Formats: sequence, C-alpha cells, structure tokens
Amino acid sequence: MTAPVLELCNISKSFPGVKALDDVSFSIHAGEVVGLIGENGAGKSTVLKVLNGNYQPDKGEIRVNGKPVVVTSSRQAFDSGIAMVFQEQSILPTLSIAENIFLGREEEFIRFGLISKKRMNEAAAVELAKVKLDTHPATRCADLTFADRQMVEIAKALSLDSRIKGQVTILLDEPTSVLEQKEVDLLYQIVADLKSRASIVFISHRLEEVLHVSDRVYVMRDGKVVKEVPAKQATVHDLHTHMVGRQLQKEYYREARQLVPKQEVVMAAESLSREGAFTNVTFNLHAGEVLGIAGVIGSGREDLARCLAGHMRPTSGTLHLNGNPVAFRAPYDATEAGVGLVPAERKVEGIVAQFSVAENMTLAALPAFTKAGIIQFARERQTALDWIERLKIKTPSPETMIGSLSGGNQQKSVLSKWRIAGVKVLILDHPTRGVDVGAKEDVYDLIRDMSAEGLAIILLGDTLEEVIGLSNAILVMRDGHITARLDAPPGNKPKQIALVENMV
Amino acid sequence: MSNRANPATHLQTWMPLIVLVILVLGVGFYDSTFFSIQNLLTVTSDTMTLFLMASGVTLVIMMGSIDLSVQAVASMTSCILAVYLSRIGAWAIPLAVLGGLLAGFSGGLASIWLRIPSFIATLAISGVVLSIGFWFTEAKSVSLSEDVSQTYLSWAINDYLGVPNEIWVGLVFLILLSAVLGLTPYGRLVRGIGAQENAVLASGINVDRIKIITYTLSGAMAGIAGIVMGARLGSGSPTLANEFLLPAIASIVVGGTAITGGVGSIWRTFVGALIVQVVRIGMTFMGVSVFAQQIVFGFILVAAVALTMDRSKILVIK
Repeated sequence: MTAPVLELCNISKSFPGVKALDDVSFSIHAGEVVGLIGENGAGKSTVLKVLNGNYQPDKGEIRVNGKPVVVTSSRQAFDSGIAMVFQEQSILPTLSIAENIFLGREEEFIRFGLISKKRMNEAAAVELAKVKLDTHPATRCADLTFADRQMVEIAKALSLDSRIKGQVTILLDEPTSVLEQKEVDLLYQIVADLKSRASIVFISHRLEEVLHVSDRVYVMRDGKVVKEVPAKQATVHDLHTHMVGRQLQKEYYREARQLVPKQEVVMAAESLSREGAFTNVTFNLHAGEVLGIAGVIGSGREDLARCLAGHMRPTSGTLHLNGNPVAFRAPYDATEAGVGLVPAERKVEGIVAQFSVAENMTLAALPAFTKAGIIQFARERQTALDWIERLKIKTPSPETMIGSLSGGNQQKSVLSKWRIAGVKVLILDHPTRGVDVGAKEDVYDLIRDMSAEGLAIILLGDTLEEVIGLSNAILVMRDGHITARLDAPPGNKPKQIALVENMV
Repeated sequence: MSNRANPATHLQTWMPLIVLVILVLGVGFYDSTFFSIQNLLTVTSDTMTLFLMASGVTLVIMMGSIDLSVQAVASMTSCILAVYLSRIGAWAIPLAVLGGLLAGFSGGLASIWLRIPSFIATLAISGVVLSIGFWFTEAKSVSLSEDVSQTYLSWAINDYLGVPNEIWVGLVFLILLSAVLGLTPYGRLVRGIGAQENAVLASGINVDRIKIITYTLSGAMAGIAGIVMGARLGSGSPTLANEFLLPAIASIVVGGTAITGGVGSIWRTFVGALIVQVVRIGMTFMGVSVFAQQIVFGFILVAAVALTMDRSKILVIK
C-alpha cells in the first residue's frame, strides 16, 4: 500500500493552561474524503493551523507522501500540496477574483516585469469553471455574495491541482455553514469530482453532511482523536456520542441549581430592530433568569447582543431597563445603566492583557475605587483578592499580568469585573469559548450563582447543548427574526432538534 | 510568569538610565570640565524645554496615538507671550497656556470627531497653528525687554537655591504628570487605551473623552514649553521651536516608552531628553555641524523604536 498523501504523526501542541492537541495522528490517502468532527474547542482548528504553518507543533511531525515536512507558512503549505479553505474567509475584498485566486503566485503571469491581467483572468476562468461560478474573473470580490466568495476560496484551493506535482490535499473548514442548499449540493458535486485528483478533509458541524461526503471520519474531543470510523458504518447518533463523550449529564450544566426567575422584569425589548441584522425582537428578561439565544451565524443574534450592550445602535423599537426607556449611544451608557457584556473575543474586548488581574477587575468601576482623584490601591487589591478567592481564580497574585493566565482564569476575571461594577444585566457572548473543560464547569457554576443573586443573564452559548442546559427560556433566531420561544425548565429541557428546526 | 521577575525586562527598564550615565562619562572623559556642577546644571536646564514639550506627547504616545503639533504650538505660545506680556502683564502667561491648550484640544477633536488618524489631525493643526504664530507677530521675531522679563518671567529664568528655575519647573511637571499617570484613573486609562483600546471601550469607559483630555494636556504642555523657551531666549518667534519635534519624539522613545502605546512613563522621557541633550553636546564637542545633528537624531529615533518595540508580533507595517 502506498504512503498516505498527508499524515499527522503524534502531534501535540500546548498553550498556557490548555493542551490543544494531545498526541493526534491521522492520515489521508489519495482520492479519499476524510471527515473531521468535534465540538468547539475539540482541537479541529488547531489541527488546521498546524497544517497551515500558523502554529508549530511541540511534538510529532507532518508527512507528505511519506516524507516529513516542516510547515512554517501558508505559502509553504501550499507548495507542499496542502490547500485550505478557511471558515473565516481569506479573500481580499478590494481585489478581483483572479487576483485573489493567484495572490502571492503571480510569477506565472509576469512578462517583462508586469502582470498580464488577461492571462491571469483566463487562468482564473478555468478554476471558476471547476466550481461552476459564472462570474467574470475581473469582478471585485467585494461585489460578490458571501456564498460566491466561498466558492472563490474553493477555486483558489483547486488552482493548486494543476500547478504542483504529486497529490493535492484540500482542507475545507465548515464550508457549508454559509451556503444555501443549492450551493451545498454543488459543493457535494465538486467534492465527488475532485476525488479523482485530490484528497479532501471535510470539517463540519453538520454530521449528516460529513457522513454523506466522507469515506472515513475522525472524531476529536478535548484535543485527542477519540475515534476513527468508516462513514458507511456510522450513524449521526454514534458520532454525536463520540463527540460528547459522555451521556448528557444533567449535572454538567448544574440543572439542579436552576431557579424559577422572579416576577420583576429587568430588561424589556419591544420590536427592536437593526437594519440588515435583526427585526422585531421582543422579549422580557426577568431578574434571576437565564435567557438563551440560539441561532446560526447570520441569524442576527450577535448583533442583537451588541445592541443590548450599547456597542451598536438599534434602528427602531424600544428598550426598557427597570421600566425606564433607554437608548445607549455607546458601551459607557450601558455600563452606567447596569448592563455588561462578556464578549466572544476575550483577548480583544474582554481583557487588557498588559494590565494586572486587579487592574482588569476594577476597570469598569474605577470611580468607586477613587478618592480625591487618586486610586485607592489597597482597597483595589483587597477587592481583587476577595474575588480571586471567591471564584477560585488561579493566579500568583493580583498584580500578575492577566495575559499570562489561562483562558478560564481570564474569563473568571472578566466576570468579576462586571460583578464588581454591580451590573444588573449581563450579556454572555460565548462565555466558554477558549476555556478548558474543567474551567467550563466553574463558569456554569458562576452563572447559577449570579442567577441566585438576581442578576438577569442573556446567553449566547458556544454549543446548543450549553444553551439548552443553562437557560430558563430560549429564543431561537433565523435570518434576524425570532422563530421560536421555548421554555427550558429543569427536567424538561427541549431537544436539540426542536431548536435546530427553527434555526435553519 | 510575572513580568517583574524577568531579568531581561529589568535590564530594559533601567537601560535608558545606564545609557545616560555612560554618555555622561564618555563626554566627561573627552572634556573633564563637563563634570563641574555648574556645567551639569546648565546642561540639565538646557534640556527642560525639550522635556516639557515631550512630557505631554508622552501621554499621547502612551495611548498609541501621536501629537505632531507641539513644535508649532510652542512657537505660537512664545509669540502670544512676547506680544501680550508688555500689554497685559502676567495675564499673558495663562493666555499663552490657553492658546496651547486650545490647539491641543482642536487636534484631539479633529482626530476623534472625524475619526481620522492622530498624525494627520495634529499635522494639520500644526499648519494652522504655525500660521497663527506668523499672524500674531507679523512674521517677525518679537523681543521681550529685560525689565518685563524680570518682572513676569523670573520664575523661569532666575535661580533658586543655586539651581536654575527651569530645572525646578521641569521637576514640578515631572512629579505632577508622573502622579497623574501613576495614581489617577485617568492615567490608568491612558495606559489601557494604548494597551487594548477595545477592552477599555467595552468596559464602559468614555474613551473619546480620555483622548481629548490627553491631546489638550499635550497642547498645554507644549504651551508651557513655549513660554519657558521664550523667556530663556528673551523673544517670541513663529519659528522659535523649529527643529524640536524630532528630538522631542526621540526623547520619548529613547526613554523607553513604546511607540505602539501601553508602556511608558514621564521619568523615562526626562531621562530620554537628557540623553538627547548629552548626545547633542557630545556632537558639538566633536565638531559635528548643527545642521548634521538632525541626521543623528533621525538615526537615534529609528534605532530606539526598533529596540523598544516588540516587533516579533508585528507582521503588517502601515
């Protein structure tokens, strides 16, 4: 048997506090379609980033056609025959389709030091034909729909096929999440066509799809490959069980601690809309309630969360806080009114990495720690120590730079910040993203603690399971509209399918 | 993982001071009269206008922005001082500071309100301010009479306890601004904006307000620098502070304040200004033409930025 086209051998990769990949091995043979699945944080993205040269593995090696290779840049990955189509698109919107497809590889079109646009466009047209995208290659990518840009990405990966010797491996990261059904069918068709020329790694949340297109499936969990199964022998249910790795335990989400919300309405939205994002959103949020919002990317839930926290402005509708109408111009208005946001992008919006733990914790409540214009450092330190102990934050001291802590401990510090600021409404946007498994449970405990103290919480969970497990009630959104409102009392939680059918 | 425990970081913290000492020893080795107390006091007092101008810009740079208008602002305030001191007496001083303050405020407002990069906004203000200086003095140098200077500006030009008053003025602002930066919420937020503006914004801070205050402070400090400069030279002129912008930014960066923001302090700029001054004197000793000295400052600036910035994480340069 010939050597696999692409092989990962015992790859490990750690980040401070998290073992992202733990002894991961897998192989792809010529003409094979391999599925790679796992929950968020299972390590799929890290695998891709290792293959793309963004990260260097701590241990293990990558082999192409049986020979070890060291990949330090995406260009090098490309030249080794590894092409990637990323979830976050890498298309440059101001360039044309052709320029994007051959970005960084313009040599073949250069004549007398100048790029021949004509020949580049001709070559691009050949690649576009492979994805059946009937658009002129000189079109600016900004003028394409999101789905078409995705097709351009795929065309870019396919352009490798005719340009290198040996086998090509194409990694598709969540390629269907933004595509319409018609385009998804086309993608299946393309994948089937490609099998004769390339090997494909297909990464997706949608297990049915993975089973449909793949020959073999690898299941990842907590940075390890936990299962390898031929697609013919697996069912969605099997895959799901392997992915989660445990029978859904009620205790995982602290359901026993879920309380009945108080009568008091803290936040009320009425016909809240933002043009191009969401329309006619109406809800009441009670003290002590966890209100989950479920929806796919593009459902408008992220923008809704940001409007509620003052990061964006709604274009119509009203928002009441404790019965008073509010219109936030900026996040400071929301903070002033008692609304805080735990953002999805923790490193960008959640923490100031160069600040100490204590400085981060008091950031939203500095006036309360100021006397005669001077910060009361001793009181600040004491408050930080109290919260470090209360939330079991693992840090050498309150003066330690927060950037050196693990994701979970950073997140607990962010939660402390809003508790210290005394907010009444907390919007949690993916609060467990980039948080390791043990710390996730701590965050769930904290959410229950906050509810018990009467805080009202809006939750955009990392997984459906999380939203269902933690929420008192769930709003499901699709294309900017609320399509369902489900109660989720302990012991009688809605099924995932009940949400999914309203999401897509 | 605490930053304090790292010996390399330790060295980086004290490096500017070490460089200063080495430079002083070097120049003194060349000419031993350099070591006389009188001479060292003169060198220090000569540095103070540069320091005053750079101290305000330090705050702006710590936010990750820049203020290119300070040289023009200092020149303008020297003009306001020279024209008005004989007419309205001591009131000319707050008037000149107010002029600087307004110039700084305008630059900040232009940058924040219109969402344009600070270097463009302050460069534009710089042009406006330069013209105002010309307009005030009708493009001439206006001299201050000896008795007017003695009456109103003795706080800047005489001695106290054998130490030139410029040094006292410099020390007062060194302490004052260090306290503002180190002890007040404002100072912490300046640092936070430079380190991670989005997180500060998301924590419910009115970032725009902090920025406007900082540009205003920078303008005011440039105004004060212009007043002291005018007092020392006994005149005001619309080009009085020309050739000061590059050394001022060099002082900040040589002192170890990161041009990308988040890290820095006022005492660093104090040390940086002294380094720049000693280099200047050293060059004069060695016979380097005054006109060629800007070349050296250009090199120092680039070298200092390259050394103080963590460039390993920077892929895209704009």
